[in-house]
Amino acid sequence: MMYLKLVFRNVRRSLRDYLIYLVTMTICVTVFYAFLSISSRYYQPDVGAEYNLSFLRDGMRAAIFAVALLLLFLIWYVNRYMLKSRQKEFAVMTVMGMEQKTVGKLFLAETFVMGLVAVGLGIVLGMFGSQFITAMLLSSYGKSYEISWMFFPDTVALTAAFFAAGFLLVGGFHFRSIQKIKVIDMLYGERYNEKSIKKSRFMPGMALVYEGMLFIMLWQGLREMRYYFDSRMAVPVHILFWGNILVPVAAILVSLVWVFRRRKWKWENFLAVWLVLAILNACLAASVPGMKKRYLLPFDNGTINCYLLFLVADLVFIICSIIYLACSFLTAWKEKSLVHKYTGENLFFFGELMTKLNTTTKTMSFICLTLAFAIFLFVAVIALAGWASGYLESRSMYDVQISSAYNNVYEEKDLPKGDYELVTAFLQEYGIETAYDSTFSLYLPRREEFHQRSKYDFPVAAISLSDYNAIREMLGMEKIALKENEFTTQWRISADGEFKEEFIETHRELETDEGKVYLAETESYEESIGQMLYNSYTDVLYVFPDEVCRGLLPVARNRLIQTTEKLSYEEAVELERRFQKEYPEENQEGAAWFIRTNTHQVNDSKAETFIMRASMMYGAMVLLVICFTILSMQQLSDTRQCRYRFGVLWQLGVEEKSIDRLVRRQLGVWFGLPVITAVVVSGIAIVYFLQMISVEIAAYIGYDVLLRQTGAVAVVLVSLLLCYFFSTLVLFRKMVLR
Amino acid sequence: MKEILRLEHIQKIYGNEGNITKAIRDISFSVEEGEFLGIMGASGSGKTTLLNCISTIDTVSAGHIFLGGTDVTELKEKETARFRRENLGFVFQDFNLLDTLTISENMALALTINGTAPGEIDSRVRKMAETLNIADILEKYPYQVSGGQKQRCACGRAIINQPKLLLADEPTGALDSHSAQMLLATMQGIHEQLGATLLMVTHDAFSASYAGRILFLRDGEIFTELRRGNGSRKEFYEKILNVLTMMGGGANDVSETRL
Repeated sequence: MMYLKLVFRNVRRSLRDYLIYLVTMTICVTVFYAFLSISSRYYQPDVGAEYNLSFLRDGMRAAIFAVALLLLFLIWYVNRYMLKSRQKEFAVMTVMGMEQKTVGKLFLAETFVMGLVAVGLGIVLGMFGSQFITAMLLSSYGKSYEISWMFFPDTVALTAAFFAAGFLLVGGFHFRSIQKIKVIDMLYGERYNEKSIKKSRFMPGMALVYEGMLFIMLWQGLREMRYYFDSRMAVPVHILFWGNILVPVAAILVSLVWVFRRRKWKWENFLAVWLVLAILNACLAASVPGMKKRYLLPFDNGTINCYLLFLVADLVFIICSIIYLACSFLTAWKEKSLVHKYTGENLFFFGELMTKLNTTTKTMSFICLTLAFAIFLFVAVIALAGWASGYLESRSMYDVQISSAYNNVYEEKDLPKGDYELVTAFLQEYGIETAYDSTFSLYLPRREEFHQRSKYDFPVAAISLSDYNAIREMLGMEKIALKENEFTTQWRISADGEFKEEFIETHRELETDEGKVYLAETESYEESIGQMLYNSYTDVLYVFPDEVCRGLLPVARNRLIQTTEKLSYEEAVELERRFQKEYPEENQEGAAWFIRTNTHQVNDSKAETFIMRASMMYGAMVLLVICFTILSMQQLSDTRQCRYRFGVLWQLGVEEKSIDRLVRRQLGVWFGLPVITAVVVSGIAIVYFLQMISVEIAAYIGYDVLLRQTGAVAVVLVSLLLCYFFSTLVLFRKMVLR
Repeated sequence: MKEILRLEHIQKIYGNEGNITKAIRDISFSVEEGEFLGIMGASGSGKTTLLNCISTIDTVSAGHIFLGGTDVTELKEKETARFRRENLGFVFQDFNLLDTLTISENMALALTINGTAPGEIDSRVRKMAETLNIADILEKYPYQVSGGQKQRCACGRAIINQPKLLLADEPTGALDSHSAQMLLATMQGIHEQLGATLLMVTHDAFSASYAGRILFLRDGEIFTELRRGNGSRKEFYEKILNVLTMMGGGANDVSETRL
C-alpha cells in the first residue's frame, strides 16, 4: 500500500519534471490512434459500391505497425533518460534498505502509470486527429467530408495494447538494468565526470567510407566519359563530365597527401578541404538530371540512380563534417576576432557550445540526417501521391479496356485476333449496358518492322482514322479529319517535349506498305487517350487514313468499353477473372492480353496511394518527433552541470536577464544548427528529386499545388519544432534559474 | 587605515513561525583596507551564512552591511549583480571554475563580464598568471590541471578585477596539505604584494594562522577575537588552538605535523 502511494506521489511530482516525456508520448499515441482508426472494423465510410476498403485496411495496419517499431526505440530512449535522472533517488532508497528489485518495480510502475496518462490523453487527441485522416481518405475517394464522431473500440484496444506492451517491454529491460547497477554507481552517477575532449572514431570511420565512395565516383566518371562524352557538347556539359572525374581525383589526392603529412597537417584542416570538395561533388551530382534534360544527355535511368546514390553519400558526409567541424569553425572564429571573443558573456557562450558539440558529434549527426530524411519524405510524399493520382486519371479513362501485345509472338499467324465475345456475354449476363464499345486493331506501317524487338528500336504503331475518331468520340472529343495520304500523331501525356519536336521534324513523311504518307498540317494531338494504346516502349501513335490501314499488318487487337453505370467492385473482379482465364497476361510463347476495369484500377490505386501517403507522412512525423525529443532531452539531461555553470556566472555578477538571454541563445543554436543544416541538405535532395520527376509533376500535379502543399508541410514542421523548443526552454530555464 | 567593510547587528533567521533557526544572532565588526581577516568556527556556527550575506548572495533578516560606503542590504535585486562584479572577488572550496573554458578563459571571463576592453584582456590575464605562477598551464582545461593550480586560477579570477574585498570560503578545503600550503602562501602574497583586503572563512587552524586577525564564531555570535600582532605564525597558531580548545570543539582541528 505504501509503495502504491509512493508510485502515485512520484508520478504526480514527475508530471512537471517530465513534461517532454508526456508531450512526446502523447503526440506518438495521438498520431498512432489517428492513423490506425481508419483500419477499424467499425469505420464504414460511405465511399460507394465501386470501392472496397479491405485492402486499404490491411495495408494501413501493416504500415502503421512497421513504423511503430520506431516508437519502441523512442519509449526506450525516454525511459532511459528518466532512469538516469532518477538514479540518485533510487540509490538513496537502496541505501535505506529497499531491495533493488523493489526499486526496479517502483520505476516500472511509475513509467507505466505515466504511460497510461499519455495513452489516455493521446487517444482523446487522436479522435480529433482521426478527423484529419478521415478527411484525407474521403477526399482521396472524391467524397465530401462530414464530421463523424465515432468511437472505435478495436482501435482503442489496439493502441492501448501496443503501448502497454511497449512500456512493459522497455520497462522490463530497465528493470533488469536497475537490478544490475551497483549502488555506488547510482549514487554518484549524476556527478559530473570530467569528459576528455578526445573524439570518437566516428568521423575517421565516415571519412574512410567516403574515400571508398570517391573511388566508385571516379570509376563512374571515367565510364561516362568513355561512353557518352562528345567534344561538341556545350561548356556546362564539359564541366559536368570533367568535374565528375577531377573532383574525386582531387579528394583522393588530398587524402593521400594528408596520410603522408598528417603530423604537420591538422585532421580538422584536411576535413575542411574535403568538405569543400564534397559540396562541389554534391552540386555536380545534383545537376545531373537537370543537365540531362537541358542538353539531352543520353544518360539512362541506371546512371541517374547512381548519381542519386552519390548525392546521398555526399550529403551524409557533408552533414557529419559540418557538425564535426562546427567546433573548429567556432574556435577559429573566436581566435580570429578578439572583439567577439571578449564581448560580454560570449566567452561563456562559446565554451558551452563547444563542449556540447564536442561530446555529441555522433548523436547530432544522426539527428541531422534523420531530420533531413524526414523533411525529404514529407515533400516526396506530396509529389509521389500527386503523381500517382494524376497518373490514375490518365490511365483509367475507360470502364473496361482490353489491350494486347505481340512482344513474344514470332509468327504472324499467332498475332492476337478476335473481338473478345466473352466480355460481351458477361455484360449481357449481368445486365450491364454499354454507352460506347469499340474494338480495333493497331498496325505496323511496314511489315518488316514486325521483327524489330530491341527496346530502343521498337516500331511505332498506327491506328486507323475511323477507330481513332471512335475513341475520341467516346472521350467526348471532336473528331478529326485527314486528307488522302496524310497522317498525324497522337502523343502520350508524359512524352518529352524536345524528343517530340525532334521526332516530328524527322518524320514528315513515312514509308508504308501502302506507299508514302505525309504529315498533316495538324502535326500532333496531345489529349490523353489512355496509356494502353501505344506500342511497347513508344510514346507516339500514328493515325493513318482507313484505306492505308487496310493493307497493313495488324499486330494488336484492342477493345474499349464505356458502360452506362459503373461496374461494382465484385463485378469488376469477376470479369477480370473470367477474361484472364482465357486470355492470360503472362505468356512467354504467344500474344499477351490485358484487361483493366476502371473500378478495380481506381480502387487499388487509390488504396495504394493512400497507404503510401499516410504511412510516409506517419513515418516522417514519427522521425521528426524522435529527433526533437532527443534534441530536447540531450539538453535537459545536463541541466545539473548547466545549473552549476550558470550559478558560477551568477556569482561572478552576471544579471539574471543576461543569463536568461544566454539560455535562449544556447537553446536556439542547439535546435537551430541541426534544423537549418537538415533543411539545407534536404533542400538539395528535394531539388534533385523534383528535377528527376519534373515531367510528371508538370503533367499530373502542377507546381502551384506542389508549392501549396509544401507550405502546409512547412507549417507542420515549424509547429512541431516550436512545440518542442518552447517546452524545452520553459523546463530548462526553470531548472537552471531555480 | 580606511575602513572598507562594516557590519552592524546582523541577524539571519531561517524557517517560519513554528520552526525558527537563528543562523546569525547578532554580529557586528569592521574590516580595514588591506587587512587579512579570518573567520573561524565549528560547523553550524554561521560562518558561511555570514559570508553569503556579505557577498550579497543571501539577504540579512536584520542589520546593515556597508561595503566601501554602500549599504548592501539596501541594494535592489537588480543592482546586486552589478555590485558583486565591481566590488567583490570570490574563492570557493570547490574552485567553481568552468570546465568548458581554459584556465586563461576562466580568468578572462571575469574581465569580459566587467566590460574590460578586449585588447587589454590577454595581457592582463598573462600578467596575473605570471604573478600566480600558472603561466604554463593557461591553455589547459581545469580537468587537466591539479587542485592547487585550479585554486590559484580561481584566485586569479577573483582578483583580476582588483575588487575592494576578496572573499574566500574554505579555500583549502579540497586540497592536499602541500597544495594548501602553496595556496595560502599565494594568498599571503596577494595580500602583501597587491595590498588586497581578504576575508577568509575556515575551520582549519593552520589556514587561519595566515590571517592577521581572526573572529571566532559560536552559535551565530562572535565568541572572541584574536590578533596576530608581531608574533610568529607558530605562536599565532598555538593561540588559535587554545581558543578552539576553550570553545570546546578545537581538539579535532589540531594538526601539529603540518607546521
